[in-house]
Amino acid sequence: MTDLAPLTIQGPVATLTLNRPDARNAMSLDLLAALHERMDELESGPGGAHVLVVTGAGRSFSAGMDLKAVLIELSGDASLGKKLLTSLAEFTLRLRALPMVTVASVNGAAVGGGCGLTCVCDVTLTHADAKLGFPEVDLGLCPAVIAPWVVRKLGPSRARAAMLMGGVMSGADAHAIGLVDLVASDRDGLEALTRETAARLASGGPNALATTKGLLNSLDGSLERDAVLRGAELSASVLATPEAQGALKARMKT
Amino acid sequence: MIRVEYTEPPEVAGSIAAVTLARPEKRNALTPEMLGSLASTFEHMPREIGAVVVSGDGAVFCAGFDLKQCAADPSGETMRSLLAGLSVCVSAMRALERPVVLGVHGSAVAGGCALLGGADVVVAERSAQLGYPVVRIGVSPAVSAPFLGASVAPGAARARLVDPGVISAGRAMEIGLVHELCDGPGQTKERAADIARSLACKPGVGVRATKSLLNHITSPITDRAQDGLGASLSLTGGDEERDRLGALWS
Repeated sequence: MTDLAPLTIQGPVATLTLNRPDARNAMSLDLLAALHERMDELESGPGGAHVLVVTGAGRSFSAGMDLKAVLIELSGDASLGKKLLTSLAEFTLRLRALPMVTVASVNGAAVGGGCGLTCVCDVTLTHADAKLGFPEVDLGLCPAVIAPWVVRKLGPSRARAAMLMGGVMSGADAHAIGLVDLVASDRDGLEALTRETAARLASGGPNALATTKGLLNSLDGSLERDAVLRGAELSASVLATPEAQGALKARMKT
Repeated sequence: MIRVEYTEPPEVAGSIAAVTLARPEKRNALTPEMLGSLASTFEHMPREIGAVVVSGDGAVFCAGFDLKQCAADPSGETMRSLLAGLSVCVSAMRALERPVVLGVHGSAVAGGCALLGGADVVVAERSAQLGYPVVRIGVSPAVSAPFLGASVAPGAARARLVDPGVISAGRAMEIGLVHELCDGPGQTKERAADIARSLACKPGVGVRATKSLLNHITSPITDRAQDGLGASLSLTGGDEERDRLGALWS
């Protein structure tokens, strides 16, 4: 069976790959279960690695929630949306709490929950033509699980405009508003940028990095679970409304 | 002096409300009546309105409080009404369950810039000037601190509030106070209205839930609005403010 979230470790740098390329790495329950297993491994001691690169297989980083799974008419299971959102919420909390420095290498589209995941990482890299953004409101949804992470990454004012206006932006525009920290000119450039950045981060003392990250997490409220878990409930309740289900159905047809 | 227009009859779903500061001969300087009318507009917005766009008539968006009225009232009562009215108005903009888009042309200073604290999306003319240059007239911009603090990074908010200078729209965009720049006043207002229309077309449940959630996330700061107003009010009617306000027309 395909490993949906392979983890490779090379010296001080571990790489976690979202591996559902045919579904643009959309987050299904199976993919999230695999990601949680990788968190089990990383939390129990990552074999000397103290930098974690998160990236996507194929041409996308992640299309966000698996829309097929949350369209009740298609899945036949109205509780699936809440299960997915809760699993995603728990995953973001575990990823943020890792003592390793985390780097999102956004190789292609990072949309909705996928873009939210980049905000959970400490450093985000992409290339100028990648597409990032939060189109949830366009589909009648509320990006509640990821909102706390987006606010911490962008600051409240930019987060407000980005999440209420919806749509997606280029990697270059994402860099301009601070959604992305470093931007390569193209996809090939991103591979080199990711290697260089991971190596530079890995040159830091593991204890110094873990202590600094731990302090930053405690200063900005990253360790508080309630907001993110309540977000899953809110997001699930909006998802179940006829308006959202109607908009999702229309999207699936296009 | 506050004009409210609807693109469609207000009972049509997805209609936008255009709220305009309409006192161009005074650079839209705010009076207690204008702030009361603005607050009431936001508090009683028809339910069907999908989004609101706020802009100003004349040469600038808003020059702040009408200081001539303040100087003519040595009791400090006018200044007190303005500060309290501003706080209520910005809170009402923020509390509205629909997105508020604001277009700044020319300048938005002092109380005019404070109105940005209630907006969700701000478009500014590239050449516009923004800031809170009120400490030089002995007035504390503390009333705006909880709203500015809920928008931009704490360092940038602090620098803006103590500095009796203004910044360019470009710099305001760098610190996150402004989200888009436009060339010229006409384009700025058109772009703000375009954004409001596109927001009004989105499914309403998700937009309302998202705005409410963002309000909740920043509520630890905005819940201090009364403290901010209290700090500004504590100086009102004092010697420093009276002398400096009086000196503006001497």
